[in-house]
Amino acid sequence: MLNFFADPQWIIPNIIAPFIFTAVALMFYGNVSNSLALYAVIGGGMMGMWGSTLYGAGFALSSDRWNGTLEYVLGTPSRLIWIVAGRSFSAAVLGLVNALAILLIVVLGFGANLGIVNPLAFLLALVLTLVSLSALGVLLCSSFLLTRSAQVMTNGLEMPLYVASGSMFPIALLPFWSQGFSFILGPTWGIDAMRYAAYASYTGMAFGYWADILVLILSTLAYLAVGFWLFIVVERRVRRDATLVEI
Amino acid sequence: MSLNVEKAIVVSDLCRAYHTSKGIIRKKREVVEAVKGISFEVEHGELFGLLGPNGAGKTTTIKMLTTLLTPTSGTARVLGYDIVKDVMNIRRRIGIIFGGERGLYYRVSGRQNLRYFADLYGVPMAIRDKRIDDLLDMVGLKERADLRVEGYSRGMKQRLHIAKGLVNDPTLIFMDEPTIGLDPEAARETRAMIRGLVDKGKTILLTTHYMFEADELCKRIAVISNGKIVALDSPSELKRFVKDITVVEIEAFGVSDKDLATLRLQAEVTAVNAELEGERQIVRIQTAKGSEFIPIATKILERAKVLDVRTKEPTLEDAYLKLVT
Repeated sequence: MLNFFADPQWIIPNIIAPFIFTAVALMFYGNVSNSLALYAVIGGGMMGMWGSTLYGAGFALSSDRWNGTLEYVLGTPSRLIWIVAGRSFSAAVLGLVNALAILLIVVLGFGANLGIVNPLAFLLALVLTLVSLSALGVLLCSSFLLTRSAQVMTNGLEMPLYVASGSMFPIALLPFWSQGFSFILGPTWGIDAMRYAAYASYTGMAFGYWADILVLILSTLAYLAVGFWLFIVVERRVRRDATLVEI
Repeated sequence: MSLNVEKAIVVSDLCRAYHTSKGIIRKKREVVEAVKGISFEVEHGELFGLLGPNGAGKTTTIKMLTTLLTPTSGTARVLGYDIVKDVMNIRRRIGIIFGGERGLYYRVSGRQNLRYFADLYGVPMAIRDKRIDDLLDMVGLKERADLRVEGYSRGMKQRLHIAKGLVNDPTLIFMDEPTIGLDPEAARETRAMIRGLVDKGKTILLTTHYMFEADELCKRIAVISNGKIVALDSPSELKRFVKDITVVEIEAFGVSDKDLATLRLQAEVTAVNAELEGERQIVRIQTAKGSEFIPIATKILERAKVLDVRTKEPTLEDAYLKLVT
């Protein structure tokens, strides 16, 4: 994480971009209601957490490759999946800074008054969503190990999750054929759970808060299981093909 | 727990091929055999050298033994553990020092680099910082430990690599050309450090293409050329390959490739090597004729400006040249 912070460009995807998205979205509406403000905080925060996770996990692997540290990291007795998981999770937590920044904007800049109906349920959903984002980052990082273009892939994967998870707008607005992708994303259920906890009368995906939490947990476990297997396969492959040193 | 094994490293018919491709539309696949069936053993507490020219297979061999590459065929055991099946057991017990400009996190300090790798190696928190302090002291980086690595000199980075390779207190250390690119003083200090590690009972496998370094440090040397071991013995025994040879060393300007080729064709000559030292050329000729060859050599080099001619006893470098050319 120190290496991550030492490079100032982390500020762009983690703070500036979600800040701009949220502020612009709110300005479109003019008068900002409490429910809209909460929508912006949750959505913007999610964007920040995902951007941070991708950057922290994916870019970190690219950095390791460029620095020549990837071989050394692989040569330690710590399993690569746990190294990546640690980076993913800490990066996702860092993304919470976005949520706080956006909260300040809507409260101070737009005068909104956020009233979360069930703070404990909200907090549980938030924490589980963070873990789910980290697990998703771990899953994707296994493929990053195979390529020299991890950073390009990182950039390409940011937007799809913003759109498909319901961060920017409800997934009901998406074409029917694309909604399936939304449903396999754990964060989609996490955001829905947070909205159930935050709003007094929220119908969302109509499965209810606890159903969302259950799917969130199961999808996270699935990401970790598949990610664990993929990392074993990928490590064998890079040792066989000698691609770790390729820049 | 380590297995109770007699040898630190046992390598048997180890091979490694690389698959590459040329072209974009019509890809032509090629197989490059970097290591072609090498076998050797390293004793506990030994400083064993792998000597060879660039591209001989030294680094590939080390990478297989440190579990970074899988062999194409053959077997090897490091501290009793198989390099394919027992990867984690090996990684816990070895240190890797590849050196060079890369392999460090530049935007954080030397100490932070060591802390990170100490954590990856599972060094207990109770002893981690003390060990790091001791290592920084050993490599002479204590004063600069908290500065960013991007500000370190080449020699300082190399010393940090050594500290990093020792952070888990390994039983066996792999060093790939540890003094390459260092100035003479830094190189001397590094060699002294290496000797100190052997005195502490560490086993070291070191690759180098500096003959004097191998001669000075190694108990035994395997000479590797074109993926195969062409000789394996102590430095003094390797020099016996050239015991009947005298080296005629000629210092000159303007020696052409044609002149060198003519020298090599002489029946009495076993090897010819030319190096540039500043603007002068040093031509080393291995010959059984000794000083009797000097008139023949100066006749061949009559178009060049010869500054000095001398005869020398053959060194390990001469034995190496004979083995690899």
